Amino acid sequence: MDTLTRERSPMTFDGVDPAPKSRISIKNLDFYYGDFKALKSINLDLPENRVTAFIGPSGCGKSTLLRVLNRMYDLYPKQTATGEVLLDGENILGKKVDLNRLRAKVGMVFQKPTPFPMTIHENIAFGLRLANYAKSEIDDRVQAALKGAALWDEVKDKLQSSGQSLSGGQQQRLCVARTIAVEPEVILLDEPASALDPISTGKLEETIHQLKEQFTIAIVTHNMQQASRVSDRTAFMYLGELIEEGETAQIFTRPRVERTSDYITGRFG
Amino acid sequence: MTATSDYDSGVKSTRPVAQSDRIFGSLTLAAAVVVLLVLLGVFASLVLGAWPAFKEYGLSFLWTAKWNPVTDKFGALAPLYGTVVTSIIAMVIAVPVGLGIAIFLTETCPRVLRRPLGIAIELLAGIPSIIYGIWGLFVFAPFMQSYIQPFLIDTLGHVPVIGTLFAGPPYGIGMLTAGLILAMMILPFIASLARDIFQTVPPMLRESAYGMGMTRWEVNRHIVIPHVRTALVGGIMLSLGRALGETMAVTFVIGNAHRISGSILAPGTTISAAIANEFTEATTPIYTSSLIALGLVLFILTFIVLAAAQWMLKRMKQKSGA
Repeated sequence: MDTLTRERSPMTFDGVDPAPKSRISIKNLDFYYGDFKALKSINLDLPENRVTAFIGPSGCGKSTLLRVLNRMYDLYPKQTATGEVLLDGENILGKKVDLNRLRAKVGMVFQKPTPFPMTIHENIAFGLRLANYAKSEIDDRVQAALKGAALWDEVKDKLQSSGQSLSGGQQQRLCVARTIAVEPEVILLDEPASALDPISTGKLEETIHQLKEQFTIAIVTHNMQQASRVSDRTAFMYLGELIEEGETAQIFTRPRVERTSDYITGRFG
Repeated sequence: MTATSDYDSGVKSTRPVAQSDRIFGSLTLAAAVVVLLVLLGVFASLVLGAWPAFKEYGLSFLWTAKWNPVTDKFGALAPLYGTVVTSIIAMVIAVPVGLGIAIFLTETCPRVLRRPLGIAIELLAGIPSIIYGIWGLFVFAPFMQSYIQPFLIDTLGHVPVIGTLFAGPPYGIGMLTAGLILAMMILPFIASLARDIFQTVPPMLRESAYGMGMTRWEVNRHIVIPHVRTALVGGIMLSLGRALGETMAVTFVIGNAHRISGSILAPGTTISAAIANEFTEATTPIYTSSLIALGLVLFILTFIVLAAAQWMLKRMKQKSGA
């Protein structure tokens, strides 16, 4: 019954799966900061090998929802979640869940680049060693991860420099590389481009596009264009509620709810 | 046009501002210069005062272990040795415990305990050193003599090599007791400095480390401490500076013997303890000058510690590739 292991079902890469199965199922999720109810009975499926964007005005709970998915909120007192979040059929909100293993399975990239205080190589190798990858594999995996994050060509000659010596955009891609190196199943991106310039943002979005072949991705963004560019599905949230969710094209062109269309067209936000 | 010309020819309005700014600049410069002057003044008077002693004994003053006021033979080695040994004992104990306290306070401590504990630590730092001295002499030293030192002699005393560190009778007072008192005195400094330093770690960096599936130990060991290592080494060196110069409490419990002993249980002395103890007894000019020379040695020792700290930081930065 122990599903928090690193074995995964083999992936298929042959184009778009017409009906991808859901990787994460959120069922009747409520979330509280102390007494304040920040999420109100959220029901949402994140399909495998798809990018799901969470959009909505500030304070709508989209980042909170993301932080439930790897239980980051557990670091802080008085933050509680009720309901169910199923990852591979297991409720990750359960008390017995091994948080270290869960977070190895659900990687996260933050609003600002957070390179660890070590070399570029170590930034990635460190997580690999934590995840018990064989020593002989590490160098190859570091290289593969840097290539996956479209950073390899820029850093291959200075792997022993500090990760903090890179530019902001490079640092953020290093964080992406670090996250994908340990082969998570799900990647959470919390406004990953908010501190980046347009060119770095473009590169990052391209990276996200390639990553969905291997991973299930959830991205929080303030930027409508970004949501429409990178995501397959979009969930619009407002005041802690999930207002509408569906194919990105449909949400942006034919939203069913008026509030969604108001937000997307910039009438409020 | 009139408005601009008012601005341009605004001799009346801009001049006083520029002048007050200049005065302000000179004032702050003067404040900074005072520091340099005081430093130079202290150094100069130490050198002047120590001159007779160095003229008499030369640099061999530094490695002469004799300290005999009757024959006017003086050497700094014994107090220098005692200073270094007690400070090492203090740091070996206070650094890990202090970091432990700081990590507990910033990471794992329940919120209700956080403030009381923090205040307790700051109160500990506020206890005057004379109180540590009295407590050390009347309470701690007897306790060491009856329980801790006999235990150390019976156990570690029989281990080859390190056994010599714990040889000899349990005096109660001595270098180990002085080192332990010093550890208690600098512990609150290290703890509160380290806590303030750990609080500067961006929460997002911590979260991203936890987000990689790291345990608390791994996050603190590999992310938090390396992230703040510069500030941390600086804080530890500041505490070491305090330990090197601490006088009163050490004087009470170290035994004040100008002796170099392999055993940390033996009495000894430190530079500051020797100066404090003997200044009133220094009847001959060469005796006084030798005490001032001790002060100069301490001054230089502290300087070396700070320089070494800078050098270490530079090395560490290179190693981590910064």
